[in-house]
Amino acid sequence: MANLQKRGLTTAVICSGPFLKLGQAQARTFGVPDLPLLVIQHPLGGQSIEGVKARADHAVPLFVKLLKEKMQ
Amino acid sequence: MSALAQLLDAPGAAVEAEDDFDAINALMREKGWSDGLPIVPPTEARVAAMLQYCDRPWNEPIAKIAPRWGEATPLRLAANAVMAGCRPEYFPLYLLAIEAMCEEPFNLYGIQATTHLCAPLVIVNGPVVQELDINCGHNAFGPGHQANATIGRAIRLALVNIGGAIPALGDMSTFGSPAKYSYLAAENEAESPWQPLHVERGLPKEASAVTVIGAECLHNVNDHESLSAEGILMTIAGTMGTTGNNDTYYAAQPLVIMGPEHAKTVAQGFSKAEAKRFLQEHATLPMSKFSHENIERRLKVTYKERYANAAPDAPVYALQNAEDLLIAVIGGAGKHSAVVPTFGATKAVTRALKTADGRLAKSVAEFRKA
Repeated sequence: MANLQKRGLTTAVICSGPFLKLGQAQARTFGVPDLPLLVIQHPLGGQSIEGVKARADHAVPLFVKLLKEKMQ
Repeated sequence: MSALAQLLDAPGAAVEAEDDFDAINALMREKGWSDGLPIVPPTEARVAAMLQYCDRPWNEPIAKIAPRWGEATPLRLAANAVMAGCRPEYFPLYLLAIEAMCEEPFNLYGIQATTHLCAPLVIVNGPVVQELDINCGHNAFGPGHQANATIGRAIRLALVNIGGAIPALGDMSTFGSPAKYSYLAAENEAESPWQPLHVERGLPKEASAVTVIGAECLHNVNDHESLSAEGILMTIAGTMGTTGNNDTYYAAQPLVIMGPEHAKTVAQGFSKAEAKRFLQEHATLPMSKFSHENIERRLKVTYKERYANAAPDAPVYALQNAEDLLIAVIGGAGKHSAVVPTFGATKAVTRALKTADGRLAKSVAEFRKA
């Protein structure tokens, strides 16, 4: 993701709450501290397919919004 | 000004503190440069003594440690080795272990950042074991020997202080593990009926070597009753075959540690390769022991062809390929072995101790500057 961002492609990373700090630290490590991070509800593991789809339904419009904001 | 003093003069290379043990430890805790235990203050004199056993440029990284990808220079590593309580002569082996676990197949990023409780396990082979008095016998993974305790601890300090494996930030392990304080032992080559681990993995016997494994803690295998190789191996296989084991889902390289007494019994009937085949075939559980969800969402996905139409009693293997199993003989007297599952998405790495010009080192004394 960091490499794509550095190449000029607008990118964003989806992570669950407890992994936000790791994601932020990694973005700084790879030289893209402003890499957009979309936080979704934790956990993602141990979910039914319906549960995963519900997370995706919730995340997709937020993700698109995040990318659009980044592109402006 | 000495070469070390010049390096320490660079911005950020050193910190000043009151010359007081408690004050220095308080500073270290405040900075987060700690495993929670008190550290030995890494004074310039102590770091200089450590670097007397380093034949590499002190300020050039030998590796980058994930997840922060911090540059592991000998200078930084020397400070961590001092903090852990290492003797200077341990330093070449410490550097080697760090280099080995930073090689790509080991997947240190995954091992550091995962929610799994794995830690890098270091098994040492060769003449350096005796030279540094690394424990390979009774209580080899426990307390009592400075080399085991402090080289292992220095590795953890580097993983935290250079690699950024800070709990809930770079180290997301749900539980962590006592193995994250220190996890290093030597193979008991004198008591092993087989080739040493490093020789089996392609190095000459006279080499000193480390093998790093992304491992869980040991799980004991008690067998005081079996009189045959098959009997001992059946008990070990039964301990290997569990649900909830990462090695079930990867072409993993779990470790079986045989106590010398078990190894001697097994070697009466089996070569090491034959023992591995036996364990691969017998370390199984019937599929019905797994939860319905794990069958449908893991086994039938990861091994679609094998389990798509399998009967409930179809075997699920703890070890996918016999040749991937690692067997080492460690420990003292007693009818025990141990099973060590892994992170799964990792490959063991074995590396020989070499001087900077690429020669096999016969002794750590070769690294000492005149």
